[in-house]
Amino acid sequence: MNRLPLPWRIAANMATAAVLAFLVAPILAVIPASFNKASFIYLPPKEWSALWYGRFFDDAEWLRALMNSLKLATLATLVAVPLGTLAAIGLSRAGRGLALASSALFLAPMVVPIVVVSVAIYRSALDVSMNGTLLALTLSHAVLALPFVVINVGISLRAVNPAWPLAAAGLGAGPWRIFRTITLPVILPGIAGGAVFSFMTSFDEAVLTIFLADHSTKTLPVKLWETVRLEFTPVLAVAAVVMIGLSVALFVLAQALARRNGEKA
Amino acid sequence: MNGRRIEVLALLAPALILTLVVFVLPLVRFLSLAFTAPEGTFATFVALAESPVYRRVMLNSFVVAAVVTAITAALAWPLAYLLARVRGLWFTLMIYGVLFPLWISILVRTYSWMLLLERHGPVNRAIQAMGISDTPLPLLFNHTGVLVGMVHVLLPYMVLPLYGAMRAIDPRLMQASDGLGAGLWQSFRRIWLPLTLPGLAGGATFVFLLSLGFYITPALLGGRTSIMLPTLIVAFITEHFNWPMAAAASIALLAAVAVLMLAATRFLKLDRGMFAR
Repeated sequence: MNRLPLPWRIAANMATAAVLAFLVAPILAVIPASFNKASFIYLPPKEWSALWYGRFFDDAEWLRALMNSLKLATLATLVAVPLGTLAAIGLSRAGRGLALASSALFLAPMVVPIVVVSVAIYRSALDVSMNGTLLALTLSHAVLALPFVVINVGISLRAVNPAWPLAAAGLGAGPWRIFRTITLPVILPGIAGGAVFSFMTSFDEAVLTIFLADHSTKTLPVKLWETVRLEFTPVLAVAAVVMIGLSVALFVLAQALARRNGEKA
Repeated sequence: MNGRRIEVLALLAPALILTLVVFVLPLVRFLSLAFTAPEGTFATFVALAESPVYRRVMLNSFVVAAVVTAITAALAWPLAYLLARVRGLWFTLMIYGVLFPLWISILVRTYSWMLLLERHGPVNRAIQAMGISDTPLPLLFNHTGVLVGMVHVLLPYMVLPLYGAMRAIDPRLMQASDGLGAGLWQSFRRIWLPLTLPGLAGGATFVFLLSLGFYITPALLGGRTSIMLPTLIVAFITEHFNWPMAAAASIALLAAVAVLMLAATRFLKLDRGMFAR
């Protein structure tokens, strides 16, 4: 609608600016909150200090929660990426019926409300005495991350020209050599993108982990969740800033990877 | 040909086994608990349907989901419209503004709102400074807090499909209607609106479904009066150790999700809208 009258255009611009501010600004509020000097969060801080960052990184419990999160996210990614990559390749070669049924199954964890998934896995973990274990956490986080790998690798697989593997086979290359020299280089950005999504999914996961983790496997989101209703300390804002920092780093990485994936597709 | 089938199955098998063992099996086992109440096979569902408390929770879930959907649609409209029109740096900035929040943990986004909406927080101080109210307004631990937090978290899911639909509109259509003498309102109503409707419906379905399953945000920003289905499911387990009731409430939630998804895929080609992302 090129000819929207000027007052309308101004209104649309102002509304958009307001909505964008509403989307982004509240997230950033934790940054000034984390620099409060007082032991009680006040926004904006009356006195600024990085004191609580020291408290966070000196506190064995917060530090262990952070390390647990990093460890779990790494393990879940290491499980989800190879499985998801193989599955995406399988889906691209499967018949229509099998491909539809399997992808529905792979994507189901994204559709079923996370509370239901969490409670169900928690119950089964209790039944086999595996709740709180790193193994149970790794496998269940991997299931939640799997769809992102299947989707990302699936998109990058479309860039593989079906004639290339045939040509390579005609020239005498075996299946492994075809995969390594033709398919893999093309889908590598997709795999890396899937890995970033997997890591993020696991690192930010809260609901399932609240149920499944015990004292020794507690992650950063779980520790944040437990403390958030008890205290109003700036340490929580520091924990939130740490989580945002990691998200931003991975967001930048994912954008770079998506651009490469897009160029090849 | 047979070798090819085996190869495909071998590629799919590890992921299928993981999903079946860690997702499908626990889900089936848990949901089947709904039929194991000592009072009878369907006693849990009867209890859910007859208790005024549970009925109110379910009604509350749908009302909150509907209100959140309506607010996100209203807020997303101008943003998606401009997003579909701008190019270059402005587009980059705006699309990052929409995508960036999706990368931040829901827990962190919710926590931010706790800081902003609390009794002596910046929002309340601004309200008092502007003279809207003399005393701090209760913005937290009630419906207001839940709505603000949920709209904030879910807004991108409305903006993206709406943007996808608006982007796909051929600008020549509007020029044509202009040339044929249609006024602004008529062009909007007969061309622009019908063509963006699939995007709106797709976004609304997403937001509504995600709202129904929300746990963290209502749990932290809501109070006792704003309990929704997911909170009820958790309460059945952690407070009452009543697994059959938790399973029955989960089946109710899943049934609602399934019906909406079926309706959505049937009446609008959801897969077409799905990828503006």
